Amino acid sequence: MSGILLLLAGLFLPLFPLSMVFNGLFGRMQNRTLRIALLLIWPQIGVALVVASGMDVPGWMLVWALLTAIFYGFRALVLREVSLWVSFIATSVWAVMWLVMDSQGAGWYELAKYALGFSLPLILLLLLSGELEQRFGAAYTGLYNGLAQPLPRLSWLIVMVVLAVIATPLFPAFSAVMAAMLNVAPDSFMMALMLSIAWFMWGWAGARLIQGLLIGKETGAIATQADISSGKAWIYAVVLVVMVLSGIYMIGGLA
Amino acid sequence: MSLSLGEKLKIRSMIYVAAEPVPFFWPMRTFIHHNPLHGLEHLPFAEAAEKGSKIFHGRSFLPRTMYQEYLSCGKADRKKLESIVAEFADSQPEIGGVDLKRWLMTLLTEMDEHVITSDVLVDTGDIHAALSGSALAPKPDDLSEILATQLRSQLLKDRPIYESVDALYGCKIGDDLDELVVKSCLDFYDEGQSVWAMPKREVGFFKAWSNVARRNVRLFLRGIRVGEIIEEDDSPEGVITHVLKTLGIPEQHWTSYFTRELARLHGWAGFIRWRESAKNYHYTKLYPGDLVDFMAVRMTLALALLQERGHYHAAYTNSAIESLIGSQTKEIYLRHEFHGRHVMPAMAHKVDVALASGKQDLMEDTFNEYVQAKRLNVANAQVEKLRALAQKAGDAGALDQLSVEQIFSLLEALHAFEKQEGMCWLRSMEEQAMEHLIEGVTLGPPVQRKKRPFAQALFCIDVRSERVRRHLEGVGDYQTYGIAGFFGVPVSFMELGKGSESHLAPVIVTPKNVVLEVTTDGVSEDTAALTALEHAMHELKESVVSPFVTVEAIGLLFGLDMIGKTIAPKSYNTWRKRFHEDKPSTLLLLDKLTREQADSVVRTVQRAVIIKAVEQELEFKPEQITDDMIRGLRECAMENPQETGDLLRELNISEERFNTLVKRLQDGYRINPSFADRQMEQLGRIGFSLDEQANFVAGALSSIGLTKGFSRFILIMGHGSCSDNNPYESALDCGACGGNHGLVSARVIAQMANKPEVRKRVREMGVDISDDAWFVPGLHNTTTDELKLHDLDTMPPSHLFYLDRLNTGLVSASHLAAQERLPTLQKSVPENATRAFLETQRNSMDWSQVRPEWGLSRNCYFIIGRRELTQQFNLDGRSFLNSYDYRVDPKRRLLESIITGPLVVGQWINMEHYFSAVDNENFGSGSKAYHNVAGRFGVMTGNLSDLRTGLPSQTVLHEGKPYHEPVRLITLIEAPFEHAQRAVEAVVSVKHLVRNGWIRLMVIDPEVGKIFIFEDGQWRSRPANVVETLEESA
Repeated sequence: MSGILLLLAGLFLPLFPLSMVFNGLFGRMQNRTLRIALLLIWPQIGVALVVASGMDVPGWMLVWALLTAIFYGFRALVLREVSLWVSFIATSVWAVMWLVMDSQGAGWYELAKYALGFSLPLILLLLLSGELEQRFGAAYTGLYNGLAQPLPRLSWLIVMVVLAVIATPLFPAFSAVMAAMLNVAPDSFMMALMLSIAWFMWGWAGARLIQGLLIGKETGAIATQADISSGKAWIYAVVLVVMVLSGIYMIGGLA
Repeated sequence: MSLSLGEKLKIRSMIYVAAEPVPFFWPMRTFIHHNPLHGLEHLPFAEAAEKGSKIFHGRSFLPRTMYQEYLSCGKADRKKLESIVAEFADSQPEIGGVDLKRWLMTLLTEMDEHVITSDVLVDTGDIHAALSGSALAPKPDDLSEILATQLRSQLLKDRPIYESVDALYGCKIGDDLDELVVKSCLDFYDEGQSVWAMPKREVGFFKAWSNVARRNVRLFLRGIRVGEIIEEDDSPEGVITHVLKTLGIPEQHWTSYFTRELARLHGWAGFIRWRESAKNYHYTKLYPGDLVDFMAVRMTLALALLQERGHYHAAYTNSAIESLIGSQTKEIYLRHEFHGRHVMPAMAHKVDVALASGKQDLMEDTFNEYVQAKRLNVANAQVEKLRALAQKAGDAGALDQLSVEQIFSLLEALHAFEKQEGMCWLRSMEEQAMEHLIEGVTLGPPVQRKKRPFAQALFCIDVRSERVRRHLEGVGDYQTYGIAGFFGVPVSFMELGKGSESHLAPVIVTPKNVVLEVTTDGVSEDTAALTALEHAMHELKESVVSPFVTVEAIGLLFGLDMIGKTIAPKSYNTWRKRFHEDKPSTLLLLDKLTREQADSVVRTVQRAVIIKAVEQELEFKPEQITDDMIRGLRECAMENPQETGDLLRELNISEERFNTLVKRLQDGYRINPSFADRQMEQLGRIGFSLDEQANFVAGALSSIGLTKGFSRFILIMGHGSCSDNNPYESALDCGACGGNHGLVSARVIAQMANKPEVRKRVREMGVDISDDAWFVPGLHNTTTDELKLHDLDTMPPSHLFYLDRLNTGLVSASHLAAQERLPTLQKSVPENATRAFLETQRNSMDWSQVRPEWGLSRNCYFIIGRRELTQQFNLDGRSFLNSYDYRVDPKRRLLESIITGPLVVGQWINMEHYFSAVDNENFGSGSKAYHNVAGRFGVMTGNLSDLRTGLPSQTVLHEGKPYHEPVRLITLIEAPFEHAQRAVEAVVSVKHLVRNGWIRLMVIDPEVGKIFIFEDGQWRSRPANVVETLEESA
């Protein structure tokens, strides 16, 4: 029974090819609220299933998870549609949760926190992609570069949120990655290396996303678009600050 | 493949013609303001603006919203706008119930964006259907053919093939190619910035580059095989032909193909084009390289890149693309939409997936869906804009009443009007500016002075002189004049301690006479300690290895220097200057040498060289070398018959060694007859004959109408700027002096005019310089507005009593001008004029200051006439002021000379500012903050880009909006109408500039009291402000 629960968890903390279920579902759902709900709940179900199974995660599953993380990170490099990018990166980062769960004595609350730390910036990015769709008809990199100067607030938020997604220090996702690293590094150099590669892939994909939207010469249509309102920007900023504070809190918990 | 001479010449001439629209780019050491569309000046302005926009992918007019701002703050004339709109509307057919005049005015003044959105997929019927809310008609049966025709015009003909491949496959070959070409140019054209130079540059650009490219491992690793292409032909022309034939470019498109290639890197192309024309440029002589070489390098790399990417995308020739358009129109259309960034964002992902799948049925479905969606989207967007326009024009319901034909007429009219909209705004702004000038100028009879002024000052015509002239006139009994800053004397100047000549004249003039600067303190071979240390530091910094090993040892020194420059730039720089050696006192060698004097100079030089040679070659001590020895050796080296017996004994060497020494003197030390002849020739260029000096002095003074009533002091004020860490410093210097400081020119003419024998001749020419008049050169520092006099040590003692009063006047004028100007540069301005002046001084020394001064920004007018015309009018530093009195110029020669030189230079300056302001990214050079010096002659954005031409954003923009208000140069000539008209007609180049609308010309006729304005090919007149008498100033 426990083994089945663990395998079932592979759907929710997606492991390739089970990950196709999440990505298929996410791709078909056009409603943004449902997508947000999916991002929020999906990994939490996975965490709950693993905790419920009460089993230690076998080593081969960790390797499987890392391969999934690398594979989806690599795929995200060439994606231009932002919501798809979110979906693939979500698959990649959630796969890393398997390594966090290997942590001895980590309870449900602890794990749920880390999963939330991965999900929250993805949700913010999804919301920001809505802002882009509203202005340009689609959130798609490389179609309209150079947002940085004409839309500085939106650009700033995109940069910060992408940094949060790719587990930059101080953000909660960083704590999760560090927890995973501390779990695997003492026993397996190879797994630590694989985790580093996955992490590198996220960074690379994030840089490409930023480059495809914010950098370069602005095209004609951009200049006429209004920036995100300062009220909205403040709300995003507050959420980001809360994330940073919780990230710091979570790092403290590592000691 | 080997081309005949005729074929080679054909390629050369094609490239020559193709390069004509590309403007010259002069090295930035002597920045020359130029019109970026100079090559199109033979066309009317509107036509050239349109063509220039296409060639350089730039914008020739400001966005509509900016003009709307100008209109709302009174900088554009609404009446003029209305009259242009009325004229246009009257030429259009009636369109139902549409009041076209009102619609067009609404379009101009209330709509932010262009109203017309054309697309080949949508016709008037579709728009009519969208207006009435009915479904669009099914897509036409011949849609594929329509699209294929459009694709052919967009992708083939003269478009570089790699651009078409990029537009179809998104492989960015164009960007890679530009990067490789820029790197190649940087390697070859470097003027001492790189430590490791490209080898064998003396063989020319293409050959030197080929030698390196054949062995370039980086190119090899990237799969770029240039070797095979270079092997095709030795000559650049042959390689170009080979590439064009391989790519299948039809020969009739070659010239325009070259133009498009050159326009992609027009900064580099402009620099190479200028360099090619400057035959005497040191680096041209050393390392020859022309546009044919440039094109051959570019073509070779383009073909190699296309072949490399061809592994993935087979279509990289004209015929292959042509065939794809014919056979796979739908796929090619989708590709062009997606990679050319025309795709509807909402369908971008779908199109991407279809193209990536390569499945024809998916592609077909996506195409059908896409075309339908796009038609609907474009039609709806068009209707939305039309409805917004109709509503704002107060005719909300009018659109629904229109038939298909009427909608067609309306769209045609709107489209035609939007195409010429920029000119409407421009003319309306110019009308306002002309009106402002006409209201300000005052016409009256010449002022009769009771006594001569305390001092007269000649300033450059530069717009920055206007403020300081106004203040100088205000603080005392000063009379000022405007004259081109080289004061009419073209000089090739050789500065003390420098081995090269600088041309101090407008770039269109080539000086014949050389002026040498000689020290009065004797030659010192010692270098100040700090200067030597700086040289050493610089060498260490530039070297390849030393920075790694010395950074920890001496990095701190640089750090301290940096802190000093940043925290307290003024105090630190003043303190630091104390360690530098002061420039010694100098005089200018102005007089022509006689043949005997020149011969004596050559002998003296030869003598000094022979002494050094004997010391070096024979290891003699100086005291061992006698005059006879030197004379004997010189005669032998100069191949004069000479008895050598005594000489051999004196030198104590064998005959064989003696012959070797003589040979060495001839070849190594260049003591030989042919070199001596060349030296004599060079010496013949030094100085001016007495007649020349008198002519220049009389010419300069007559041209500004100063022929009598000379005061005790005649100040000749050259100008220059002073700023730190600013590659554009030379752009702020005197354009009339070829982008150099104007002090030398001022010293030259002052020195000439102070000579009694010159004055005597000048008097015979009708210019009566009083005996006690003294010409004093000076420099107007335009960054600080400081006026500093020079060569005071040569002033007669009788004048020294008045020097204090003179200095007080100059200081007051400086401070007041700085106080007036400072608010344009910074928000916090001290109330005290002296403190304002100190602030400007700080700006000039601050290395982080990106805008030490505004330079010639906001230039607008060029006034040729007496100072009295505008003396009571604050021109706000916006006008070139060239003094001129037609009464002393009955034959119009002086006027012709003013419009040939200063006016043309003014027009270049004006156009450079115009285009840099309307499109700073393409015609200007973008932000200075990202600039890096390239090869010591230009700047690039970031570490690699085209050479940035034009002006930086900090010179023409303020907070992202134009500080320089872009209008064409409004020129006002004070003279009888016929007098001025005939002068303009006599100078062909200026006549064309006026007729083609590059200059807006007005003539103020004092004899009939009217102003004549040239517009749309004809003259119109209106009364001028006339007063009975003009007040005598101060």
